[in-house]
Amino acid sequence: MLEIKDLQATIEGQDKQILNGLSLTVRPGEVHAIMGPNGSGKSTLAYVLSGRDGYEVTGGSATLDGEDLLELEPEERAAAGLFLAMQYPVEIPGVSNMYFLRQAMNSIRKARGEEEISAGAFMKLVKERAALLGVGGELLKRDVNRGFSGGEKKRNEILQMAMLQPRICILDETDSGLDIDALRTVADGVNAMRSPDRGFLIITHYQRLLDYIVPDHVHVLAKGRIQTSGDRSLALELEEKGYGGVLGAEFAEVAA
Amino acid sequence: MSALRNRTAEPVPGFAEALERLRGEAAGSSGRALEQRNAAFERFQALGVPTPRVENWKYTNAASFANRPFALAPRGTVDPDLVIPHFAGGHKARRLILVNGRTVPQFSHLGGLPAGMTVRPLAQVLAETPELVDRTSVNDEPEHSFEALNRALVEDGAWISLEDGVALDEPLQVISILTEAESAFMAHPRHVIRLGRNAKLRLILTTVALGQAESLLNQVETVEIADGADLTIDRTLEQGQGRSAITRSRFVLGSRSRLQQTTASIGGSLIRHEMEARLRGTHSEAILNGLMMPQGTEHVDTLIRMHHEMPDCQSDQFYKTVADDRGRAVFAGKIFVHKDAQRTNSYQKNDSLLLSDDAEIDAKPELEIYADDVKCSHGATCGDLDPASLFYLRSRGMDEALARSMLTFAFTGEVLERIADESVDHIVRRMILSRLPGGERLAELG
Amino acid sequence: MATALETVREYTGGEYKYGFVTDIEADIAPKGLSEDVIRLISAKKQDPDWLTEMRLAAYKRWQTMTEPTWQKVDYEPIDYQAISYYAAPKIKERPKSLDEIDPEIRRTYEKLGIPIKEQEILAGVAVDYVFDSVSVATTFRKKLHELGIIFCSISEAIQDHPELVRKYLGSVVPAGDNFFAALNAAVFTDGSFVYIPKGVRCPMELSTYFRINEKGTGQFERTLIIADEGSYVSYLEGCTAPQRDENQLHAAVVELIALDDAEIKYSTVQNWYPGDSEGKGGIYNFVTKRGACRGKNSKISWTQVETGSAITWKYPSCILQGDNSVGEFYSVAVTNNRQQADTGTKMIHIGKNTRSRIVAKGISAGTSDSTYRGLVKVLKSAEGARNYTQCDSMLIGDKCGAHTVPYIEVRNRSAKCEHEATTSKISDDQLFYCRQRGISEEDAVALIVNGFCREVMDELPMEFAVEARKLLAISLEHSVG
Repeated sequence: MLEIKDLQATIEGQDKQILNGLSLTVRPGEVHAIMGPNGSGKSTLAYVLSGRDGYEVTGGSATLDGEDLLELEPEERAAAGLFLAMQYPVEIPGVSNMYFLRQAMNSIRKARGEEEISAGAFMKLVKERAALLGVGGELLKRDVNRGFSGGEKKRNEILQMAMLQPRICILDETDSGLDIDALRTVADGVNAMRSPDRGFLIITHYQRLLDYIVPDHVHVLAKGRIQTSGDRSLALELEEKGYGGVLGAEFAEVAA
Repeated sequence: MSALRNRTAEPVPGFAEALERLRGEAAGSSGRALEQRNAAFERFQALGVPTPRVENWKYTNAASFANRPFALAPRGTVDPDLVIPHFAGGHKARRLILVNGRTVPQFSHLGGLPAGMTVRPLAQVLAETPELVDRTSVNDEPEHSFEALNRALVEDGAWISLEDGVALDEPLQVISILTEAESAFMAHPRHVIRLGRNAKLRLILTTVALGQAESLLNQVETVEIADGADLTIDRTLEQGQGRSAITRSRFVLGSRSRLQQTTASIGGSLIRHEMEARLRGTHSEAILNGLMMPQGTEHVDTLIRMHHEMPDCQSDQFYKTVADDRGRAVFAGKIFVHKDAQRTNSYQKNDSLLLSDDAEIDAKPELEIYADDVKCSHGATCGDLDPASLFYLRSRGMDEALARSMLTFAFTGEVLERIADESVDHIVRRMILSRLPGGERLAELG
Repeated sequence: MATALETVREYTGGEYKYGFVTDIEADIAPKGLSEDVIRLISAKKQDPDWLTEMRLAAYKRWQTMTEPTWQKVDYEPIDYQAISYYAAPKIKERPKSLDEIDPEIRRTYEKLGIPIKEQEILAGVAVDYVFDSVSVATTFRKKLHELGIIFCSISEAIQDHPELVRKYLGSVVPAGDNFFAALNAAVFTDGSFVYIPKGVRCPMELSTYFRINEKGTGQFERTLIIADEGSYVSYLEGCTAPQRDENQLHAAVVELIALDDAEIKYSTVQNWYPGDSEGKGGIYNFVTKRGACRGKNSKISWTQVETGSAITWKYPSCILQGDNSVGEFYSVAVTNNRQQADTGTKMIHIGKNTRSRIVAKGISAGTSDSTYRGLVKVLKSAEGARNYTQCDSMLIGDKCGAHTVPYIEVRNRSAKCEHEATTSKISDDQLFYCRQRGISEEDAVALIVNGFCREVMDELPMEFAVEARKLLAISLEHSVG
């Protein structure tokens, strides 16, 4: 489904390669975890796949169901079924969460040639899904991410994901800044969305999240490429030995 | 100019008479230098003395306080014992002392300056190399009545110059004393301050009026801060009844340079301080803090023009105002972000306390912005002391007057803590406490 | 991937949708201004003598005044002798019922989306239709009349309710107030008049729709709204003009009077022709709007959405005389291409415990300039006065300007004033976030801008909020993205 081949990218205007020939295949129904030390290129991967400005792809390819992602505008990638839950969700003053969600849903439906969702059906759906994630009605009425706590922001990201029903979900450091209860709610939300036709790419620094969202595959990203892959036990090994212990001293994290 | 004409007043003859008296006598008052003085004076006459109909003088009537028959300052001297209490910067500080706008070398202490640093009376420079005084980089806005007048009537001032990489470890204090006098007088000193690349200086500018007199101090400062240089200024202005001061400071900053100034304008019939900072290099920073505290019938006016001319610079204006009795405080600060000055961060804040129903506060915090990728904000508040805080203090047994004084003092604290030099900080705290009812009971806070 | 700026450029050059001209025979006064012209206007309007005298006095005053220059706008000098001060569609007699209205005029308003009908779309709104210099129709008069509400053109009011007009006309904006107000007092031809009697809550929105049609003319309307004790009215003003190469002058005066416990809510959606992308043509909108909260506990609230006009010069203000009176100003000003807007408000606190609130949002795009200019003045008598001001500017592109010029003058220590202002742009992060959720860049910009303005848009009467939102999107879409 998601096919990344030899992907190379730099930050615009800089020579330094951040992604250095990264290859990865996510098949429907699979959950892949990408772990790596700071500066290994984890977030860059998420941004390059979703089409954020400021990165330059210098080689390789990324396709979703055979369609070349790198050629598409960000909203076209969203319509194709790519969703990025961001590490730092952005605030949009004056725009209610609910309105934003509906606008997003209808934009994607329109792009796919589907009919707009009726106000009633939307309300029903959003309430249902919000309840599952413990997102209160009050949060839906507030401005997008504005004044949200860290946990509320992340739950809101997962709610958007649940509403948009993407094909491939990328979670960028979704666990950062969450206490254990919030982490569990978020994980429950993600687990509820696991299905045979949906793939997940979970980017994380710590293996903690993987206690709750159990991955099928774990990859260790460092210096812009996947250094080693394995199953869940790799994450536990990393936890125990650190990146240096698993990958060799040159990959040990400088005090971060 | 015709549009200006009905907004400004015709200067009184006293100014022309003063120019006449200086001719051939003051430094730089012959030959080409005299021509320049004459040209400046013509400009002054053409511009006239601003009335409140001139936008920048909307709240301060220059024509009524400055357009009066002042004579040139008497060549007075002062009792050194009266000057010593105003010493600041520690015992190692260098000092240049001016009396009525003229330097007094015998009071000054300028020994042991590092190589590459010069501190001289401006009169010497005017006499020997007048061409050094004006440089176009800070000389591009002469359409200002009082600056033109200063150029016409300047006799002396401080010449401070640091070559590239030169740093003075201890502060340099310039004390400007105004004496008592029988008749009204005026002084037009000019300070020229130049920091070469990566030079560093801590400057303390102290203006003090001793005894009774009616006087007009019309001071101009041109300050150049080259790439990488760092200038810190702590400034106090303390005058008495009948004293008026107009100070115009113009700063030009190069790349990665820094200016931090904290001003305490405490007393005087009229204090007007105009500052213009031009950020002409990238990644430079200008910080202007200040405290204005008019009481009685005092009038304190601050005008700031912060020009972001290049990208990636930062600036901050932070002024607090306390107006009591029939005092009046004016704050007009403007952030000007020029085209292409992207990634500017510029802030301005003016908080005012109005302690009496006869006092007045006028604020005009302006933004003029021509670049889109900027973060600019300003805030202004005005009100009385917070009743809840007042009640809290009183419930702890303090009488109202003391509680008010304590809260007022606390209000000024945020500015005081930005004063760089500890001894200046103490002086300013004392000045504030001496003006607060029951201030002596708060002496420990000083 | 395109940045916000590129999107802006991409969409620059949009078209003004209301730029058509109605072909109708008009009665036009000769160009220029003189005592004779004023007497001619006065005669055409069948003014009573006192009004003719008032006009002539204003004209004399005007001749001694000079055009203001302090505002931050640039324009070629206006030749006041090249303007025709009276233009009216040739109709023999004012139609007695809505059915008798000239079909051309009827079609014009249909095209503008506000048909002259007491029909469903506008069922909750009574409209006074002003075409060039005269009012051509007013709907729902009968229904309003039953409640004692007077809603008619000011010309009719002068004939039918001279005592009210004479008492209040010029009492808030005197003829000598400023250059444009003096000009208006001399030559005003029509406008709307509203009187809400004691204790009446006006059951529908009252609205005036202004249309400039003739070329070479200006529009100088005068609006007077009086809310008697304990009454309430919500009033909305809309305006459009044909697309012409010349600049046309619109110098209106609006006076509001709120007596004890009365409330007036005045909303404007201003969409005069803004000129083309090169800055050719467009309306000069030089308007004096002021409300007097004369009575205790009275309230006047101004809401404006300013998207049109080549130049906007207007400062809807509140004089808070009555104790506990409240003044509000909510404004969105959008400038694009070569437009210039210098707008804001004055809140003059005189009475005790008077409160004011100012929320101004400026959006500049293209090579336009937008300035907020405001005065908050607390007089010594205004014990316990409160003001809160929030001014936010958004710049779209690096060739426009956004300016904030507030004046704060406080003379009472129990007063509390707060002023905050910020300047920002649409961040790339916000745009990316929206687009990642599938929203197109253009929609994302509209979404973010609407969010930026929401506090103001929320103040508009429901019937017009949707319209205003669309207008905002259009003004930006075709210029900003």
